[in-house]
Amino acid sequence: MAGVLAANFLYVILITLGGVLVSGSVHFVPVGGAPAAMAQATGIGTGTVQLAAGAGLTGLVTAGAMLSLTDSMVLILAAGMVGAMIMIGVTMMVGNLVYVYGVGVPPASAKVDYDPITKDRQDIYVSQGTEGHGLPTVSFVSGIIGGGLGGIGGALVYYSLMSIANGMASADFVGLAAIFAVGIFFVNAVIPSYNIGGTIEGFHDPKFKKWPKAVVTSLIVTFMCAIVSVITIGGL
Amino acid sequence: MSAGGSGGGAAEAIPQNKLIAFGAAGGLIAIYLSYFMVQFAGPAFSFIGALGAICAIVWGAAAVRRVASYGLGTGVPSIGMLALGMGVVATMFGLAIGGIAGPIVAFVTAMVIGLVIGALANRIIGMGIPIMEQSTTEIAGAGTLAIVGLSTAMTGTFMFDVVLTEIIATGYIALIFIVAGIAILHPFNANLGPDEKQDRTLTTGFEKGAIAMIMAGIVSAVSAGASAAPTIVIGLAIWYVSFSQYRNYVVRDAYDVVGTGLLPKEEEESE
Repeated sequence: MAGVLAANFLYVILITLGGVLVSGSVHFVPVGGAPAAMAQATGIGTGTVQLAAGAGLTGLVTAGAMLSLTDSMVLILAAGMVGAMIMIGVTMMVGNLVYVYGVGVPPASAKVDYDPITKDRQDIYVSQGTEGHGLPTVSFVSGIIGGGLGGIGGALVYYSLMSIANGMASADFVGLAAIFAVGIFFVNAVIPSYNIGGTIEGFHDPKFKKWPKAVVTSLIVTFMCAIVSVITIGGL
Repeated sequence: MSAGGSGGGAAEAIPQNKLIAFGAAGGLIAIYLSYFMVQFAGPAFSFIGALGAICAIVWGAAAVRRVASYGLGTGVPSIGMLALGMGVVATMFGLAIGGIAGPIVAFVTAMVIGLVIGALANRIIGMGIPIMEQSTTEIAGAGTLAIVGLSTAMTGTFMFDVVLTEIIATGYIALIFIVAGIAILHPFNANLGPDEKQDRTLTTGFEKGAIAMIMAGIVSAVSAGASAAPTIVIGLAIWYVSFSQYRNYVVRDAYDVVGTGLLPKEEEESE
């Protein structure tokens, strides 16, 4: 058991790094939760975990597809990154279409008076009694960054697990590595969601400054999960 | 089959310690009983594993109910996904290295990870929920036993070589992940509110556990080590009893239950 761990210690570190990237990435994604689903808060109208899972699992699938073609770590991480960015970007774009043309509200942030990217005025467009609505440019850009980081993180976890030497049949190995990646991913999606208390607008939100707490927590938890998963896969 | 209690609406008609015993002991005993009965008496007894999963699911639902009452700051589903995320990592580890002691190794590993997450959630993230450590420990344990129980019901064993080829490589592990996760998170999510009652929430847990059991039964139809019919039939029976009981509790807790008739054909008629 110790031998397996020593031989694969690099992968323990890479898995931990991947988990930490996922955890940090969630802080970028504009999540509005149930209030946003009623157009009463800025962000996408669902929970952090659902969004992170959607983006991360898409990243896993695209990374897995790339893994069947090449061994290059850079290409696999890039595939995971782009997959997750497309997934989160499409979600935000369709969400914005619904907010603007369905609900009839302009995208506006309640956390800043001027959009840091476009410099557009925000506060006068925020409906009374709401915390903003839709996805203004800064939230969209932040979400794309978050999707990218989460995709790299998910792909890094999967790639590291798939790189561990073992004696399993390939179908068994893929299944086991995938379910480990999913488990580690979900844990790292929930931790930051507790850190931000369910909603965040993006990197311009004051809550964004809390990210080190989630990252430290994820570092410790993912390290434990990484050791457990490396011992499991390496020992088979 | 209901987790009724007195029905008096006390915050906890059944103390949590009894539920821990019910879930942990009931779950582990059922998983081992299922394993040995399948070995010595035939695959028809694989359904006992799913009964263990139901014990664990009800326990997990009770733990979710306790911790989520404090307000997690985000939706209840998050903690169910956390439970199964921790659970699946611990289960794979425990079953792979544990052999015959696999379920116990998995259970203990999960609780250690759960305790660490709970402690970090309070100390570093600062959630300030007094029972957070205990609850994440319980939820991780319950999630693990639910996974092991359902796997045992699907294959008739928890030996890793069989689980690996029949559950993990086939992808049924993803089904277990989401069905057990929803069974643990959904009861409180569906019943929360000022009139939430423990017996009604836990009855939903039984009902969701029965659905998981029926699904395990359907999957076990293709497995040589497990038999589908007993699992499906017993699962349907538990579902019927618990759902009827749940409906009784809803009628009991509602101010009034009236029929509204059919929807009006034209929109104007509703005004």
